Amino acid sequence: MAHAEPVTPPQLSAPPRRSGRRSSVRSWRRSDQLIWLLAWLAGTGLCVAVAAIVTFLAAKGISDLNPTLLVTRPSVSLDQSHSGGFLDPLIGTLTMAVIGTLIATPIAVLSAFWVVEYGRPRWLAGIVETSIEMVAGTPDIVFAIFGLALFQLGFFAPLSFRASGGGVYGRSFIAAGIMMSLLALPLTYTATRNGLRATPRQLREASVALGKTRIATIRRVLLPNVRSDIATGATLGMGRIIGSTAIVVLLLGATLQNNSQGNVPLLGFLRGTGSTLTSYIFENSPSGEGNAPQKAYAAAFVLLLLVLALNGLVARISRVGAAGAVNAGRLSL
Amino acid sequence: MLDRLRRPWSDDRAERTLGAIACLAAIAIALMVVFVAQRAWPTFQREGLSWLGSGGNVDSQLGSMAFNTSAHPAASAYHLRAWPLIYGTLLTSGFAVIFGLAISLLTAIFVVDLAPPVLRRAMTPVIRLLASVPSVIYGLIGILVLVPFVGNDLITSGQKESVVNVIQLTGAGLLVSVAILTLMITPIMTALTIEALASVPRSWHEGAVALGLNPLRATIAVSLRAIRPAIVAATALAAARAIGEAIVIDMVSGGKAFTPKPWDGLIFIYEPLRSLASTIIDQGENLTEPAIRSSIYAFALLLMFSGFMLSVASRLIRRPLRKYELSS
Amino acid sequence: MLNLHVLSPTLSLNGARPQMRRPRRYIAPLVVIAALVAVPAIAYAATTISMSGATASFPLLELLSAKYHQLKHGQVSFRISQGGASVGISDAAAGRVSIGNSSRPPQAGDPSGLVFYPIAKYFVCVVTNPANPVSNLTTSQVQQIFTGKVRNWSQVSGATATGPIDVYSRTSVAGVLTTFQNTLLSGSKVGSFATQEPSEGLMQNSVKKDPAGIGFLSDYFALAKGINAVGYNGTGCSVANVVGGSYPGVSDFYEVTRGPATGQNEAFIYWIESSAVAKKIIESNWIPLGKIQPAIKTP
Repeated sequence: MAHAEPVTPPQLSAPPRRSGRRSSVRSWRRSDQLIWLLAWLAGTGLCVAVAAIVTFLAAKGISDLNPTLLVTRPSVSLDQSHSGGFLDPLIGTLTMAVIGTLIATPIAVLSAFWVVEYGRPRWLAGIVETSIEMVAGTPDIVFAIFGLALFQLGFFAPLSFRASGGGVYGRSFIAAGIMMSLLALPLTYTATRNGLRATPRQLREASVALGKTRIATIRRVLLPNVRSDIATGATLGMGRIIGSTAIVVLLLGATLQNNSQGNVPLLGFLRGTGSTLTSYIFENSPSGEGNAPQKAYAAAFVLLLLVLALNGLVARISRVGAAGAVNAGRLSL
Repeated sequence: MLDRLRRPWSDDRAERTLGAIACLAAIAIALMVVFVAQRAWPTFQREGLSWLGSGGNVDSQLGSMAFNTSAHPAASAYHLRAWPLIYGTLLTSGFAVIFGLAISLLTAIFVVDLAPPVLRRAMTPVIRLLASVPSVIYGLIGILVLVPFVGNDLITSGQKESVVNVIQLTGAGLLVSVAILTLMITPIMTALTIEALASVPRSWHEGAVALGLNPLRATIAVSLRAIRPAIVAATALAAARAIGEAIVIDMVSGGKAFTPKPWDGLIFIYEPLRSLASTIIDQGENLTEPAIRSSIYAFALLLMFSGFMLSVASRLIRRPLRKYELSS
Repeated sequence: MLNLHVLSPTLSLNGARPQMRRPRRYIAPLVVIAALVAVPAIAYAATTISMSGATASFPLLELLSAKYHQLKHGQVSFRISQGGASVGISDAAAGRVSIGNSSRPPQAGDPSGLVFYPIAKYFVCVVTNPANPVSNLTTSQVQQIFTGKVRNWSQVSGATATGPIDVYSRTSVAGVLTTFQNTLLSGSKVGSFATQEPSEGLMQNSVKKDPAGIGFLSDYFALAKGINAVGYNGTGCSVANVVGGSYPGVSDFYEVTRGPATGQNEAFIYWIESSAVAKKIIESNWIPLGKIQPAIKTP
């Protein structure tokens, strides 16, 4: 070559656009147009419904809620509209959440570990998985009825109290808490099991290569790894417990104030009867006798805030957990 | 002794202990079935399966059973015929699941495909929030807003007069029950469907579009078909929830054990009814009377088995669909 | 030689040393605290009296039990549930509760071996919504409305409401229903078309909300604000007329025990029957009996 001309690369046409123009709805078949319209209606309808419910509850709740309601005990009378707050139901809700989660989380986590890590004999693992699925699908009211039948046995008399005629009352915070743990169990179990299944094999293999037994691996390696999944599951379970009403109405005695049983401080409270926010709302609605819709709205608003807070917590934990999992090489982004 | 527990456990002992703990769930289910069945036995013993049939006014039957204060009622005291309650449960749950399925599928398509990105990002946490709202709040809205609205504005005086000798139309009835129940179960189904739809590989959808389908049709023909097992599972979960919902139905269904008759025309949707679960809550304080107790436990047995049957059925339906399955 | 068995519990993946000695430090103080708490608790031995039954006497029993609890310095506490008079009776008979509350005297079909202690008098009024302030109904009017022969307000003189009558009644476990049917309905039964409410409170709610509603309530609920109590055959439904003897819809509240009352149950019932404090509480909304009436035993 005599002179070196700069070599220009061949001219390509412009790179193809990644997203092509969407076909116009007008050109579709009639049935597709109908479905498009219905989908838009459903979506916007749901948005409108959500907005309506939340603003309605917020408006009613804020107008009826004053902070003293949160710290006053309910007045001891059928007619709730004149005085009294809902401190006792609030304490009841928090107690239920704590007891139920405390009982359910260890059992769910340990069961998940057994099923995923050991799981022998196979038929037993299948039975456990099926049972937990059945527990997930059982209605709340069946748990409540079962709890009544179970805790009215003489054997469980220390959990509530025994009437002078010999019958066991069967309703107390402990009784309701144990049944509530059955509500939270499947959620925590599923979350932990999914987290365990997503842990890479290499983690376990490395631990075994270092000479650890399987139980030590579980305790020192896997457990810290699925911490965020366990937290997510536990929080989901807590949300479900807070929202249940049927178990409370049948198993907690539905007294307006929390009445302790006996004189031992904490144990007496747990053995006694009480109410939660959900049963308080039920009692104060027109289908209960409290006759105080404003209190019901206020309590509903507080309950909604609690649920919102729990949801936010779940979102944050799973985001933090996802970040942690990325670091551990579980998720690749 | 504490020292022995603190020493490192052998794998065998750990496996056995963990296995024992894991069996607690199975034991709980077994106990539940045993207890509920044992308490429900007297009804089956005296009435066989005929108590599932119809005959007579359930309210008055329950009333006379509760009135019977003796410790060992005669066999004739167990004369409950629960069909109106079963019918009420099937009506409300059936309609709610059908409407909920339609709305949740459409909403899922909307959120994943049609919504502008801002709306899509906003709607997902919102739907999850709706799914976790306690049912008693929905019942509160139903009874304080919808029931007066239906009773005062939708039901005309003429309609009330036409049934005045049989029942009283107060607004609490089939319409409000189905509306609130649908509102309750749709967010759960929608959330699960959206999660499943989002996990379908985008390339499948793009392939369908490349073959000439419009985007909406591609979603329906490809993505929705791919997540059929998830839809079946979500529907079974929602149906179990709807059947067992006691508090909400107790608040908005009118509490009268009446069988709404479709051939009554428009009044059909205003007629009061009662479901199995709401009867259990209603009779909660009467549970100590032996005749009522065995009937109520029989209802609970029925509800428990429908829950089990739903999960078994959903598994059976999902099995042949597994070849298309992407996510469980 | 390295003894790995000794080393392994003290090493973990991140190298931190687990603290094994801590649990021992906690145990002794915990045991002492538990003992300190348990011993006085056992020494106290407080009693709980459980009650169930009539919804009409529930407000009265709540007031009485709260006062008694105070007077006994917290040694006796109460668990009161409702359910209706028949439920209280059968619960007491089966030993499920200590005392049953009843708003009706014993009748055929009640379990045997029970003792009914009368504690107060109450009365039943027909009630309507305040938007429909019917001031008086005759026996035949009341009978026709509640048995379903008359189904429209336009056929009822003195009523301002129009349209069909919404009749509210009670479930059959209610003692107030028995009283109402025996006295004001002269033995007829309420028709099956009526909506049945399980408690006084719910009946009151229903009639308050429904301008076309009519029902019947015990005096505590009927004379409350927001509801209209209807006169009967020219006699107003009030305490004065009951004490004077001109109003017929009267019955007693009973406390029911299995066998003669013993121990704390007996002390409580005797206190209600004889103390001036209890009489003052009863006078607030109901009618005291004057002197201790004899108990009724079921055969």
